[in-house]
Amino acid sequence: MEKSHRQRPNPSSSSSTQFRSQKFRSNPTTKDGKFTKNNSPNAREDFVKPRRASQQTQQHVDDSSNLPVLLGTCPFMCPVAERTQRERLRDLAVFERVDGNPRKTSSDLAVKKFCRTISIRDMPTSDLRPLPVLEDTLDYLLSFLDSSEHPFEVVHDFIFDRTRSIRQDLSMQNIDNEKAIYMYEKMVRFHVRSLHKLRSCTNENISSVHYLNMEQLTKALTTLFNLYDINRSSESINENEAEFCSFYVLLHLGSNSQPTGESLSLWFRQVPIPIIKSKEMGFARRILRFFRMGNYKRFLLTTAAEASFLQYCIIEPYIIEVRALALSCINNGGYKLHPYPLTHLSKLLMMKESDLVSFCGACGLEMVTDEVGNKSLLTKQTTFCSPKGASQSYGFLNLEPFER
Amino acid sequence: MAAYPGMSMGEAHRRITEYLNRFSDAVSKQDAASLRFLLSLSSNSPFLLSLADALNTFHDSSRLIKHSDHYSQFSDILFNFFRSLQTYRLANLFDSYQAFEKSANAFIQEFRNWESAWALEALYALAYEIRVLAERADRELASNGKSPEKLKAAGSFLMKVFGVLAGKGPKRVGALYVTCQLFKVYFKLGTVHLCRSVIRSIETARIFDFEEFPKRDKVTYMYYTGRLEVFNENFPAADNKLSYALTHCNPRREANIRMILKYLIPVKLSIGILPKDWLLEKYNLVEYRDVVQALRRGDLRLLRHALQEHEDRFLRSGVFLVLEKLELQVYQRLVKKIYFIQKQKDPTKAHQVKLEVIVKALKWLEMDMDVDEVECIMSILIYKNLVKGYFAHKSKVVVLSKQDPFPKLNGKPVNS
Repeated sequence: MEKSHRQRPNPSSSSSTQFRSQKFRSNPTTKDGKFTKNNSPNAREDFVKPRRASQQTQQHVDDSSNLPVLLGTCPFMCPVAERTQRERLRDLAVFERVDGNPRKTSSDLAVKKFCRTISIRDMPTSDLRPLPVLEDTLDYLLSFLDSSEHPFEVVHDFIFDRTRSIRQDLSMQNIDNEKAIYMYEKMVRFHVRSLHKLRSCTNENISSVHYLNMEQLTKALTTLFNLYDINRSSESINENEAEFCSFYVLLHLGSNSQPTGESLSLWFRQVPIPIIKSKEMGFARRILRFFRMGNYKRFLLTTAAEASFLQYCIIEPYIIEVRALALSCINNGGYKLHPYPLTHLSKLLMMKESDLVSFCGACGLEMVTDEVGNKSLLTKQTTFCSPKGASQSYGFLNLEPFER
Repeated sequence: MAAYPGMSMGEAHRRITEYLNRFSDAVSKQDAASLRFLLSLSSNSPFLLSLADALNTFHDSSRLIKHSDHYSQFSDILFNFFRSLQTYRLANLFDSYQAFEKSANAFIQEFRNWESAWALEALYALAYEIRVLAERADRELASNGKSPEKLKAAGSFLMKVFGVLAGKGPKRVGALYVTCQLFKVYFKLGTVHLCRSVIRSIETARIFDFEEFPKRDKVTYMYYTGRLEVFNENFPAADNKLSYALTHCNPRREANIRMILKYLIPVKLSIGILPKDWLLEKYNLVEYRDVVQALRRGDLRLLRHALQEHEDRFLRSGVFLVLEKLELQVYQRLVKKIYFIQKQKDPTKAHQVKLEVIVKALKWLEMDMDVDEVECIMSILIYKNLVKGYFAHKSKVVVLSKQDPFPKLNGKPVNS
């Protein structure tokens, strides 16, 4: 009889187009499985949500993944062998160099690199970092975000790679407890912030950096959702889950953007009810509604009033899109003999007047000035186009909390 | 294991042998209907139930199977089927599934060797049973705190069956049934994206001619692919597929018609077609009643209320976002009503609608919107061609076109 083969997914790439993929297995150190029957108030009748146990003893005979559960023993941020090898090959990031020497690093500075080609069978446990080391490594990496010694792209690149390696180590050891959740939350937040900060970087391959960042963001977010699922109990919902779910919604604002390859309607089916009713999700769903409706006034107003910084980082590119839509609508539907006053427009679009003038220019629209110097937007212009090269969103009028 | 009261060893022996004979007869006579009956484990037919009791009384069925050449050639199928039936009867669904999968695998091997497609109906029974058993096995696993994995395994098995049927011979007409079982598996698991590859095989492979498939399977297929289009908000495609399913569905299958309508109605609403009330009543789709009413009256408050009241249901079926988007059409209707009222009072001035009037109308509907937002909405309606005209910012008025100021959607979704 042929056994139905289930290939163990490559832990390094965390490829889950499948939303709640069943990658994570139990870890002997996880807390006792708090398990709810499927008739919990969160379960929806016609849909059996896959759940994972947190006890290892449930491996059945026919379970095709009879791979060992590894426990790492590497006490350093970087395994010694890799460290010495990279010293020899002069493959050290600037942050890893002792006194700037490209050939010298130390156990305090070297951080394990992400390795795409390694499989779980080839990874000796002495190269795997156990959970406490991973936690410290992550905090160490994220501390570089505070320094301004190097351009952001360089910092981002380093953290991007080294956190990917952390996720690889976590996955190979099947660590899926609450501590893994904290770590994934930190890493997702990093990627979200990078969404914003990379937009003001100017080097030439920034768009591929941006693309890769988005890719890892969605992978890490998907894994995080798996972790929430595994650790869910009938008594409580993780306090941050609502916020991260709101990120998911906002990432799918645009009609063409399905970064996870799945439609939002499909995803909503399996979100627990308390999350749907949370404040963060309420915000995200309203923003979604305004965006889809084209209600630019409410979209901008609500974003300015209620978005957290991280939510703003995700919404940012859509702010430009919505403002452009607003201009397009006004240009299209406004009475020819009533040019739209700049002052009013700037309040409506929540932009500084000077920014608005240049934005209109970027959209191919002209302004007129009357005898007393008031500017207005002429309507029925035929030259409207999508704003080119407007990568910055001009912030929100006099609200500057988003310049963190 | 104590013998069942009333069933002696001899009786048990007899029942088992009877099954074996019926099985081998069905195969040798190429009687698919009988074979189907014999394999429908979850049908709970008295015959199979008492066979299960017999198996739990007389434990050495394998000896009986080897007894005669007629059925010993099917020993893998039979032995595992018996085991599956036994454990099913003892409410051990996990083991029942495991054994059934083994039996089904053995059956596929035999099926492959049969040249003609005579046994397709029996194969359908297997495909159905394996899914249903897997679902129950998973429920059992979950309730024991273990991770459910059997439905996924059933999916893999069904893919294998699909592969066996996807050839040039007469067996290929069975592929659509198996596809539909796969759809049900994937929808239940939430791994809906996996439908893509089967759909591609059905729709692009040259061996398949869609019209050749049995009607019932075509209806089911269109239902599921139509639902996928709804998830992706491709309304014209969704309309096509779900309407096909509706037209070709057996009118007496009211439950199925209801399921199709559940998804077709939001699609139709999105292209401006409203169902009659009797339809909603007849098929118990009352959750849409207020939505339809809101569209008829231009009552935004009612729409929002309906969405809130049935939020969980709409989210679960995946139509919530589709219904939410109807807001624009509700606005259009509201402005249209204001226009008609004005027309009655003074036809010459009717085409000029003050923004303030719209604000008042919305306030009356307990919707708090200022003039700026109303202007914003109007500009959107004009932009998306739901309203023909323009707005004069300084005078705070909307001037409607004298001709056809509220274009109908005419079966097309609102411009995005």
